[in-house]
Amino acid sequence: MGLSTLLASLAGVVWGIFGGALPGISPSIAMALLLPFTYGMEPVTAIVLLASVYVGAEYGGSIPAILIRTPGTNSAAATTIDGYELARKGRAGEALGISLMSGLVGGLFGLVVLVLATEPLAAVALAFTPPAYFALGILGLSVIASLSGGSLLKGLVGAFLGLMVATVGTDPVSGVPRFTFGSAELLGGIRPILIMVGLFAVAEMLEQISSPGWDRADGRDTRLKLPGLATWKRIWKANAIGCGIGTFEGVTPGAGGTIAAFMAYNEAKRWSKYPEEFGKGSVEGVAAPESANNVVTATALVPLLSLGIPGSNSAAILLGGFMIHGLMPGPLLFQKAPDVVYGLYGGLLAANIFMVLVGLVILTPCIWLVNRPKPYLIAFILALVCTGVFAIEQSLFDLGLVLGAGVVGYAMRRFGVPVLPMVLGVVLGFLVESNYRRSLVLSGGDHGVFLQDPVSLGLLAAALLLTGYSLIREFKPK
Amino acid sequence: MQMKSWIAGFAAILAVASADAAAQAKYPVSPVSLVTHSSPGGGSDVFLRELIKHLTPVMGTSFGVDNVRGGSGAAAIAKVAKSPPNGGMLYATTPTYIQTSLLSKPEIGYDGLDPIAIVFLDPEVIYTRTESPFRSVADAIAYAKANAGRAKWGAANPASLERIALERLKKAAGVQAAVVSHEGGGDLMINVLNGTLDFGIGEIQEIRAQLDAGKVRLLGVVTDRRLPDFANVATVREQGFDVVVTKFRGLAGPKGIPDDIAAQWERAIRQVVASDAYKAEYSKESLVLSVMGRAEARAFTQKFAEEIAGTLRELGVIK
Repeated sequence: MGLSTLLASLAGVVWGIFGGALPGISPSIAMALLLPFTYGMEPVTAIVLLASVYVGAEYGGSIPAILIRTPGTNSAAATTIDGYELARKGRAGEALGISLMSGLVGGLFGLVVLVLATEPLAAVALAFTPPAYFALGILGLSVIASLSGGSLLKGLVGAFLGLMVATVGTDPVSGVPRFTFGSAELLGGIRPILIMVGLFAVAEMLEQISSPGWDRADGRDTRLKLPGLATWKRIWKANAIGCGIGTFEGVTPGAGGTIAAFMAYNEAKRWSKYPEEFGKGSVEGVAAPESANNVVTATALVPLLSLGIPGSNSAAILLGGFMIHGLMPGPLLFQKAPDVVYGLYGGLLAANIFMVLVGLVILTPCIWLVNRPKPYLIAFILALVCTGVFAIEQSLFDLGLVLGAGVVGYAMRRFGVPVLPMVLGVVLGFLVESNYRRSLVLSGGDHGVFLQDPVSLGLLAAALLLTGYSLIREFKPK
Repeated sequence: MQMKSWIAGFAAILAVASADAAAQAKYPVSPVSLVTHSSPGGGSDVFLRELIKHLTPVMGTSFGVDNVRGGSGAAAIAKVAKSPPNGGMLYATTPTYIQTSLLSKPEIGYDGLDPIAIVFLDPEVIYTRTESPFRSVADAIAYAKANAGRAKWGAANPASLERIALERLKKAAGVQAAVVSHEGGGDLMINVLNGTLDFGIGEIQEIRAQLDAGKVRLLGVVTDRRLPDFANVATVREQGFDVVVTKFRGLAGPKGIPDDIAAQWERAIRQVVASDAYKAEYSKESLVLSVMGRAEARAFTQKFAEEIAGTLRELGVIK
């Protein structure tokens, strides 16, 4: 691997962490912004650059999630729960250290899976028919019970709000515009990232400035702390769960890091020795989602490299990067351009290592930054969020959506309605609905199709088990 | 993000300005902004970036690609329609701009722009997985006839030209089939490869990887003539079903661009598509050359829009 590829990897990671950490810039946008600059590069360099941005961005999203309760990317939403609680308790440096090392564990595990098991995993991707995708979405939604923070009813209210947002746009089966009120802006639906930025960033700022004594900084960690042996003993199981779930979710096109992170959080809680700490600042609650979403950065490449099918927006940008250089990912890529494939593997390895190095350098300054006086900090964050959202599409409409979602999020907090179920609803609503209806078109309206498909049957049974288990625990007399 | 292409454009001009200056009258504007609704790396973006590589020396001006996303193309259309009609800003057209106009009736629709030229047609093909028993579209239709309610056909998007083609095929063949729409070509390909669908419809470049690897087989082409690269694949019309769709790639500008500028574009496009370097690039993507000047492009676009509106109305998508 040449020096230029290493440099591309480093540059990609730095840009990725920066973009991922900025709320509103999703990994795919961070990649798309760099794409035009790759036209003149060597193919390997270009692909490694883009893949490194992806790795950096998926990690970078956790930094604001922990420090200011605002996920920089969709898949860091689950990290806000315990990450921010830790930060509030003055353990921000520790939480950042855990997220960094869990990201490394996830990224390296995913890379090993990608190198060794691309062929068999491609078969998993092909086993997912529309009924199976529907069931996968339902399994994801079953996590709502444990995200509801006490009141299941309020959790469901949030989830339904999210599902409602997801119905806006072009109808997935008939193509009729739905709830768009004649606006072309809404034809493509409401992008989840806009809702997330509003619900988290804007609502959090509103919340902070409306609480008494808001402008006094609280005592915090001032330095990054890497996990010691005792912490590793606590989080290894959560990391393993994250790796397992991330592998599975990454290879199924369309599922992606967000579901993986939420499910990993949920399962880590279920299997933890200290489930009562979750939601109150559990180190495992940071480790599980952060390893899961970094596994996805590697395993999401499985369907792209082996089938030529991009499983996410980010993979679609990478596909664009391949095609600009006359390369066609798919069954023949490994024969036609083995140098690019192996260069990509090497680049991903380098990217994960650079991710840790860059993290070591920037995280302590990041902590310093959020310990500045609150009035400056909040004004700065709001300005950053608004310019970021506007700059991507130059759309005032998007900006309005974000601010609107911020007000809704603030109201939800005031009434004690948890926002995470709503996020899950927004992210999964379209997947669930479109595949439900697609399945029924395929079966001629027969609902039996969900039980005849073995993958769908298995996933639905799992969702039933998980929900039943949570319900029993919820209502069991203590 | 356009910096790179601007610089490339300038460099190219410096290199060839002396040689080509006399070849053609100087284009009145520089730089020319070419607007697309597609994101970097998307279909129209790649089309424009390849085109300007070859156009820059011929037209003696520099070009930049401007990706104006949002509103499924409505934002890009509005931006171009409001620009001064001096040839300084043009929009890369595909059927999407007509569909968006029909579906959402934005303030400025496709008829707010004036077509300048059509360059290529993007052929649509019908394909299935190699394990499938079907060898032609006629086979699949025969199956649909014999097994009422069991036929499953796939298209990439619900309001796409591909879905419209399949609905027309259903009508032409007089069969019942479930036309399943997806969230893009990748999604569709999975359901073709795992045998959920009888067949799918898409562009050659979307299925190229699987086609080269022998994982999918072409059942028919939905064009009016066979494709030179796949001369043994019969058109759907040859197979007895009168269905032809034409996905096009071209350019349109604001209303009122003078005729001599339009003529200059037509001359330049005809010149570059004949060059060997460009030919090598577009034939790799199985694009069918179909250069039309302003008058032809206007008539073509008008007819296309009427047909699409008719089918969308029949499907109940628009009133």
